Amino acid sequence: MTSLIVCHACDLVHRRGAIQADSRVRCTRCRAELYRTNSASIDTAIALAITASVLLLLSNLYPLVAFQLNGTTRVTTLFGAALGLYDQGYGLIGAIVLITTVFIPLFQIASLLYVLIALRDRRRAVRQNELFRTLSRLRPWALPEVFMLGALVAVVKLSALAQVIPGISLFCYAALMLTLAGLTSVTPTEQFWAWVEGSKT
Amino acid sequence: MTRFVTGRELGLLVCLHCHETVRSAGKDRARCPRCGAAIHARRPYSVATTAALTVSAALLYIPANLLPVMYTRTFFSEDSDTIMSGVISLLQEGSWPLALLVFVASIVVPLLKLLAMSWLLWCIVRKSPGHPLQRSKLFRLVEFIGRWSMLDVYAIALLVALVQIRSLANIRVGIGALAFCAVVVLTMLAAQSFDERLLWDTTSDD
Repeated sequence: MTSLIVCHACDLVHRRGAIQADSRVRCTRCRAELYRTNSASIDTAIALAITASVLLLLSNLYPLVAFQLNGTTRVTTLFGAALGLYDQGYGLIGAIVLITTVFIPLFQIASLLYVLIALRDRRRAVRQNELFRTLSRLRPWALPEVFMLGALVAVVKLSALAQVIPGISLFCYAALMLTLAGLTSVTPTEQFWAWVEGSKT
Repeated sequence: MTRFVTGRELGLLVCLHCHETVRSAGKDRARCPRCGAAIHARRPYSVATTAALTVSAALLYIPANLLPVMYTRTFFSEDSDTIMSGVISLLQEGSWPLALLVFVASIVVPLLKLLAMSWLLWCIVRKSPGHPLQRSKLFRLVEFIGRWSMLDVYAIALLVALVQIRSLANIRVGIGALAFCAVVVLTMLAAQSFDERLLWDTTSDD
């Protein structure tokens, strides 16, 4: 069945050519990406995932921003921000903020590490396919880059009121955003399944 | 004349999770042999689900823009901000690039999404042929930019957490923020439940 590819966006059937490393193949009719391969190794992906997990931990341990007014200083973390919303009766918004900025990235990193480390040892992780499907479903809901811009807007608004100092976490979070983008780009779907096929031998 | 052959004509299905090609054996549903996902020739109830989510989002778009998203109380004053007045105050503080960013992300993008999704659904329901490529591109644009509307929600979350200095200054969330957050989430869900292939089903070959 692998000689034909059906476009997921317009249902057009294509004949699959020889797959080359580092290529991106688009549908001839609707220009949707049919598949993308990458020459990165599984080790690169694991290294990026480990880096991301450290950055995610750091960005939640230290304050994101500090706000000084008349000698009083307030700092907050992402959990602090969610808790602040909860205290004012908007726990739902707080939950959405935490889920999209912390929990989904955490889940992405943890499940990729778990699945990829197993593949590296030439075995299949228990529940690999369920995790893969959940990852693909959750991908649109990881919003670290949007959060970075939101934080920028908040900092600019606050600087009109008082002194604002960006914290270590903000830089960690920016690095996390880049690492996650890298992780996503070295683990395209086609690549992931090529690793799975490779682990069978 | 190019003859386009679709998966439906050849009895082939594609897994939307892992993009595996699966022979349908005459049925329009299957289970993906590679990743185990349920595969459908077209997403079931795609138009109805997308329409329901779009209408809900459109209704909430009104309170999201009219009701205050934030109350700011300082020693001297107390005022409320809607999304638009937040943009204006950014503009007055002299940061017009940010004001433009927030204006686009919070006001233009949600409105564009609602209009685009409604129009695309209308095209499908009316079985209107023509311009599938442009429609597909419009959908992908909507799908891509939709997430950026969450920007204001994050900004509000940080402002509320930081500006809590008893009588000097404090910021409270307004109900508008909840409506706004719901608009963003619902439009993102609407885009996800939309089956792009429906845009191509009505086209004739070039």
